[in-house]
Amino acid sequence: MHIHKTRPLMRTLAAVSALSLVLGLATTTALATQPTLEEKIEILQQELEALKAQIAKVAAATPIANNTGSASATPVADSSTTIGGYGELTYNRYRSNSTHDNEADLRRFVLFFGHRFNENLRFVSEFEVEHAVVSKNDNGEAEIEQAYLDYRVSDALNFKAGLFLIPLGILNETHEPPTFYGVERNEVETRIIPSTWREGGVGIYGDAAPGLRYDVGITTGFNAAKIDDPSEGIRSGHQEMQQSKANDLSVYAALNYRAIPGLLLGGGIFTGNTAQKGASLTDPTAKALLQGVNARLTLWDVHAKLNVGDLDLQALYAKGTLSNADTVAAAILAEQQAGNPAATGIAVPKSLYGWYTQAAYHVWHSGDMDLAPFIRYEKYNTQQSVATGFVADPLNDERVITSGVNFKLHPQVVLKADYQKFKADPSKDRINLGVGYMF
Amino acid sequence: MIRLFPFLMALAGLLQPWAAMAEERIYLQPADFIAAAFTDAAPQVRVLWLTPALRAEAEHILGHAHGQLRQKYWSDGQKTAWILEEIGKEEMIMAGFAIKDGRIEQTRILIYRESRGGEIRLPAFLAQFHNATLADDNRLSRQIDGISGATLSVNAMVRMSRLALYFAQSANSK
Repeated sequence: MHIHKTRPLMRTLAAVSALSLVLGLATTTALATQPTLEEKIEILQQELEALKAQIAKVAAATPIANNTGSASATPVADSSTTIGGYGELTYNRYRSNSTHDNEADLRRFVLFFGHRFNENLRFVSEFEVEHAVVSKNDNGEAEIEQAYLDYRVSDALNFKAGLFLIPLGILNETHEPPTFYGVERNEVETRIIPSTWREGGVGIYGDAAPGLRYDVGITTGFNAAKIDDPSEGIRSGHQEMQQSKANDLSVYAALNYRAIPGLLLGGGIFTGNTAQKGASLTDPTAKALLQGVNARLTLWDVHAKLNVGDLDLQALYAKGTLSNADTVAAAILAEQQAGNPAATGIAVPKSLYGWYTQAAYHVWHSGDMDLAPFIRYEKYNTQQSVATGFVADPLNDERVITSGVNFKLHPQVVLKADYQKFKADPSKDRINLGVGYMF
Repeated sequence: MIRLFPFLMALAGLLQPWAAMAEERIYLQPADFIAAAFTDAAPQVRVLWLTPALRAEAEHILGHAHGQLRQKYWSDGQKTAWILEEIGKEEMIMAGFAIKDGRIEQTRILIYRESRGGEIRLPAFLAQFHNATLADDNRLSRQIDGISGATLSVNAMVRMSRLALYFAQSANSK
């Protein structure tokens, strides 16, 4: 029994001795490989990186809550959800305010929300409120301007599906206030190309060659029966993906060359039937008129932009045609007269066009600040030719000179002032002041 | 549904090669940029500790906090290389800068994810940064012509180049 009692003790002593030996050796080894100060810092750095990665994961799990407090497009490091935006306030003071009232307006307040699902798939959206208040008794509008999924295969091949901007002109895709001259967007890219113009559909884009981008797609199109204001061309036929009539779809294609810094050369075309089988009309006679009709709207443009040193030059030409405009005008007239026999209809445009040239010079810059006077000449006619039996309004054949200055407080914040002179309708002559930002 | 099945199978068949083709947006690995920047001898990895003064100037250059306590860089004693990240419009852009004698000797875009403005990766755009130095107020010594439709990406690239020059200057004066 004694032997049995002493053996465990002996074993314990032996184990303790062995452990001491191992610990002693380990300590000696550890002392021999003691990390240097720099190595310790590196270890701490790695631990910090690991902690940051963990924090980023937590942030990604609650992305919006983490993003709202910061004025940055991607405020949370490594977060896959992004927020950005732009906005502009304008003041228009007319030379003669007997026809037009002077107006101050929070013209646009826009927020972007994006989310990256993985390296290749992301969601892009743009939410806009126009004119500050949206209610039954106000002119404000709340709009989704973009909401689409984008899948990248390679630089040469990308797919998108949803509601997205049509790649025509310069302004339609790049319309943040600090990126264009003048308080108001230019008239041609408002009345001929109906910016901000978006459609729902699918598109493919990519680099056909380094610096040469192509865009093609199939989308919803216009509804000609909705045209009600020829002074704005075909803009009022724009459906904006608000329960868009999709009996007829449209296609688009664009090519833009940007391989040389400061240079943009490009053009695009959009075409599709706008009859939509008279889907939005209620009068049977009016509706019947648009059955089987090809009221094809084709809009195209060519544009160029050149930035040489302090000089910015820009020019654009846009043209639109609407086939079977006579039938469209007859259908609109029939619809109007069903409710009001005295109605006279709409002088639907058969063709419309516009062009402008613009020059700006950066006369002064200091730090983030930049002062650039500019001048722009525009000529457009939203009723170059109209449906048979109707007469074009001569005021829609307009020439506009806009001269003013953009003063950037920061590359993304701009103060603007300009004077616009309208040749055909001088009652629209006005001074404009504006503030714009993007982030 | 049964009629749709062959169509869906065909669609899946079409999508399969595209999914397999999907590329990452890493145009150049950081290690490859460093290797290209130091062709004569392997550089040493170093760390620039960002003092409050350095952090304040970095914030001034970027327009927002740099968010780091130190900046890793590579040096062979004469040339330094820096890999920096900055937000374009929505996405993080990663660029590499090799700086010698206070001038940008080489710059490359390593990662670019924005759907527009990929032209900032082209040699014609990046060539504008070659030999650029720091001017007053840590501005770039030359004007950079932009890319239409990619204002924010171009601005981000300019900010990173200024920061790289400033960090290189600070590292050399240690």
